[in-house]
Formats: sequence, C-alpha cells, structure tokens
Amino acid sequence: MAGVTLAGVAASKKLSAITAGSDSRPNIIVIVMDTLSARHMSLHGYPRPTTPNMDAFAERSTVYNNHYSCGNFTTTGTASMLTGMLPWKHRAINYGGLVLPEFAHCNPFSLLGSEYQRFGFAQNAWADHLLGQYPRDIDRFLSPLAYSLTAENPALGLFDNDRAISSIAVNDFLLSMDGQENRPAASSVFGYLNRSRIFRQTAAQVSAEYPRGVPELMGGAPFLNEEVYDGVYAELLQLASQPKPYFAYIHLFSPHDPYNPRHDYRKLFNDDFAPPVKPVHPFSYGFTEEYVATRRVLYDRLIAQVDDEFGRLVSRLDEESVLDNSYLILTSDHGELFERGFLGHGAHFMYESVLRIPLLVHSPGQTKREDVHSLTSNIDLLPTLLSFAGRDPAPELDGRILPGFGGETDDDRPIISLIARENSAFAPVEKAVFSMRRRSHKLIVYLNYEMPGRNFELYNLESDPEELNDLSSKDVKTASAMKDEFFAYLNEANKRYSRK
Amino acid sequence: MKKLLLDRIPGVKQILGVYAVIVFGVYSWTLFVSFYNLPSWMFYLSAGQIASVYAYALLASLADSLLLLAGVVLADYLLFFMLRDMTEFQSRAIVIAVAVLLCSVIRLYLFSGYEDSAEFISSECKWWAIAAAVGLPLAVLFSKVGRLRGFIEGFSERTSLFLYFYLALSGISLAIVLVRNLS
Repeated sequence: MAGVTLAGVAASKKLSAITAGSDSRPNIIVIVMDTLSARHMSLHGYPRPTTPNMDAFAERSTVYNNHYSCGNFTTTGTASMLTGMLPWKHRAINYGGLVLPEFAHCNPFSLLGSEYQRFGFAQNAWADHLLGQYPRDIDRFLSPLAYSLTAENPALGLFDNDRAISSIAVNDFLLSMDGQENRPAASSVFGYLNRSRIFRQTAAQVSAEYPRGVPELMGGAPFLNEEVYDGVYAELLQLASQPKPYFAYIHLFSPHDPYNPRHDYRKLFNDDFAPPVKPVHPFSYGFTEEYVATRRVLYDRLIAQVDDEFGRLVSRLDEESVLDNSYLILTSDHGELFERGFLGHGAHFMYESVLRIPLLVHSPGQTKREDVHSLTSNIDLLPTLLSFAGRDPAPELDGRILPGFGGETDDDRPIISLIARENSAFAPVEKAVFSMRRRSHKLIVYLNYEMPGRNFELYNLESDPEELNDLSSKDVKTASAMKDEFFAYLNEANKRYSRK
Repeated sequence: MKKLLLDRIPGVKQILGVYAVIVFGVYSWTLFVSFYNLPSWMFYLSAGQIASVYAYALLASLADSLLLLAGVVLADYLLFFMLRDMTEFQSRAIVIAVAVLLCSVIRLYLFSGYEDSAEFISSECKWWAIAAAVGLPLAVLFSKVGRLRGFIEGFSERTSLFLYFYLALSGISLAIVLVRNLS
C-alpha cells in the first residue's frame, strides 16, 4: 500500500480545525512504542534523561505510574491490549500467535465500528498478525514495511482479506522474515531473492550517520525513525481531513532491538551510571555486566532518539490543532530487561523492567498533568477507548475503564502477566512463568520449570523496587496467600481446557 | 535466422522433464522447512489454519518452480546457443537447475539467521561463481556422456509422478486461497 506523502497534505493547514464540527466525537490515536520499558524513562525516575519530550507531554496528560503489560513479548502484550483480555483467555501466547477466533471480534477496530475511520499500522510483524485477524474492520491498513527503506511486495496486497494467515505463510515461513529462531526461508527462489535484496539494502545503510547501520524490522528490513514518524504525521493529517472521527492504532518498532541510534545520539549517556548488580538468573544467558551495560546504553540512546521523534510529531500535531479534538495515547507492548545475566525480552523473566510500560493519555485540550498511582493493566485500554467513544465495554472483556476516565481505583486488584510460549494455545496453561502484583507485593511463579531451589519468588516492590530480596521463604504468610489466590485464578482460567 | 532461433527452442516434453525435477526440488525444500515450523504452528494454529498456510506455501512453490524453469530454459538457450542437438537439452537444463537450487537452499540453510546477513552478502558472488564453475561443465558432461544422460533422464521420468501430484495439490491450494480471500 502506498504511503501518504507529506507534500500531498502540505496544503492542508489547520485541517482538523476545518473539519472539526462535522462530527463532535473525539478522534483516538494510540501510539505503541514497541519494547519501551517504563523503568528506562526519565518520566518514571530513570537517572538518564532519556525522555525529555515525553516528560513534557506528560505535563498535559494523565500519567499512569504503575501500568503493566500482560506479557513480556509482543504477541501476548499486544493481544491483551487489543482484546482487553488476559492472555489465558485470548490465547495469543506463542511467538507470532493469534487470538482465538471466538474472541477476535474483541478489538477496538471492530467494536468502534464503521462510524469511525479506522487506521492500522504495525511495524512489528507479530502485531500485524493480530490486526490481520480483522482486516475488513480496518479502513486503511498499512503493511509493516510502509515508510521503511524496503519496497513492499505488491503481491502480498492480493491477500489482504486473509492477512493474518497469509502473513504467517509468506512473511514468517516462505520468506522467513520474522527473525524467529533462525529458520531458513521455505521459498527457495523468491525467499532467496528477497533475503538477498533486504540484506543488501541493510548493508547499504551503514553510513557516518548510522555507523552501526539503521534500525531494522524483524527479518532485517531497514527503516529510519525519522521517515516513519514523518509518515505517521502525514497519515494523521490525512485522517484529520476526513469528515468522520477516526481511530488510529500505530505500533512502531523502535526502541526494539537492534539498538541502532543515529550518530548524534551515540554521544549521549557516556556517564558512570551503574544500576545495582543483581544475581545471575538460572535461565539467563550468562552475559557479563560489562556487556549488558554496553547494550543498555545503546537502548537508552535509541529511546532518546525515539523520544525526539515523538516530540517532533506532537509539536506538529499541535501546530495543526489535531490534538484539540483527539485523545493521544502513548504506551508500549512490553519492556526490556538488562539484568541478571540477560538482556532482551520474551524469555522466562517477569521482572519489572520487562513488564512495566508507560501509559500517557492526553485528552482533547488537556493542559494539566494528572497522575494515577494505582495498579493498572494494559487490558484496561480497550474498555477505556470504548468509553471515549461512548460505547459500553463488551461483556467478555477482563479489563476495566482506567481510573481518571470513569474507572474506579481498586487497590486490591491483582495484576497478572504471563509468558507461556511453550504451552499450546489450545490446552490448559501448565508450562508458564507468571507474575501477580497485588498492592506492594509481587509473586513470580515458575510453573513446570526446573528452577534450582525455588519455583516462586516474592518481592515487596515498595521497599525493594529492584527485586533483590526474594521473600518467598521469609514472608511465608504473604507468599502462601498469594499462591492460593493465584492458583485459584489459574484453575478457573484452565477449566474450559481441562482434560477429561 | 528465424529458423536458427526456433530450432533451438526445446519441445514441451523436454521442458516438462526439466520441470518435473525442478518441482521435486522446490516443493521438497518447502516441505522440509515446514517440518521446522510445524510444531510451533500446532501450538497456536488450528488444523484448518495450518492447512491454509500449506496452501499458500504450495502456491508459492508453484511460482518458485515456474520462475526457476523460465530462468533455466533461458540460461540454457543463451549459454548453449551454439549446441544444435536439442536431445541434450533436458539433461543439461536439469543439471543447471539442480546447481541453482542446491546453491540457493544450501545458502538459505547455512545463513538462516539475520545476524548472518554480512556473511550472506559477502559470500554471495563466491558461491554463485562456484555453482557456475561446477554446474556448467557438469551440464555439458552429463549431456554428452550417454550413460550419464540416461541417468538424468531416468531420474526426471521418476520425478514426473511428483510433478502431477504436486501440481494437483497446487490446484487445490489455489482454490483454498481464493476462497479465503474472496469470501
């Protein structure tokens, strides 16, 4: 699909001001920055000034200070956000997995309906799979390669009505573009030609500006954040010129690895910042602290670059008065971890850095900051979006309307996250790692994993935010109560899959 | 001149013989790689969805095989234009096709990760040069030596069974893909 050019909309100054009034319902823009950990944002107290623009944006937004993803990788985290359901219900729990067909209709595009102009763009192929489950409910649905440096394959557009399965077949399998476990491309001719083309394009991007190369999508397709954010801006202006209110879901790949910030950001953070050393986890790859530190600083620099792009986007949207009648929501699908001998996400780690994500909601015309400190989950986003449009949440949803937008604060609410990628989506969840946060405590459960010496961890995050002091054998009463509660939830969720 | 050009176009039967071997190689590779993916698909795709993935894959294999056939016929036509004996076409083209296919799948297998991208690119010319250096003389050798040519043609004949089987599956696949995208 062709992108909208900036030149094409350059003449449309104050577009939203012109069209405002044709329908008074607010527009809703959701920007998901893949792999953005709240714990690496200066907005949430990170010592490095990684997010000055988001900090400024927060001054006129509602800021959720304890917001969690239900999963620690894209599929699970994004599916929970889009369906408003816990992973053990929607079942997109495997790498590249899909939401169960019976729940696929629970998504903002279908539930908002055709009264909204609906726009979808996910640079992450696995998020694109999820959107691809309801392509007919998305009026303009860009390919993950839109605004990248790699030309889209026009043949793939033929299969847009079957986007999820065709994408799994073509991108993941035939072209092996999902970067998953180094599987060869199954197409011996087109797969080879495609691989050669993309690798050459990527190699050609190494320059003085990008000495390590440019950022890459899954499978290696190169892109520039500058161009992608320009594209997003052009798309939003185009949407603003329509008479209908619009819903835009924009899932951007950075700061996902590979962390390739532009040259001018590579000068940042040459400091002596050293987070506390944590014990090496039995499931880690055993990376040294020094190596992890070199990767952490690159990640932080990429966040800083993305933050600048976000700041540039917001200020241009402000110039066009787009935000006067729009909700702008900034969040992520999961975080990133640089500790315990590990770096990345999607493995068996349920620590704060990989689960705590940002959530900032700017309401139309909002000028003051509001802070919410109660625990919230990304399953709360869908019911909240529906409330913005004056819709009742679907009864199947597990999420609640966010506090600050009509939802009630519930301090006793458990916040559950899990990784169950080695578990069938069609069977009871029996092999997984879970996290359950309730008030100040967090329980981690390793279910059917051989963890030397322990299968549970318990932390008091108020007194021990770095999760250094495992209380599972010290505060037995709390641990026991949380375990009982957790297994009651799990057993209930597993009931429909119980083997007879 | 026109006669000279037309005389060197191989017959349909000979082309089908080459295509049978290409289909055997291309589809077998796709099915081989699918066995890496099948366990994970079974974790999150229903049986119908897995069948649909295979339908797309078989259609892609059809496209792969036709493209390779066109490339091989063209290469043979251009490279061996001076050889008038078209009875040698089949064995010669088969050897070329096998060389191309082997080079492609071995490289895809060896450099499957995208951390291998630099090596994939830097070694590309070398690998294809070797494939050409080995494949082209072998193509001539196999077409000129009667027993070798007989072996290749016999192999082609046996793979024709796969040709009809896979083409039938591709037809069903086309129907599945059409239904999924038009319904």
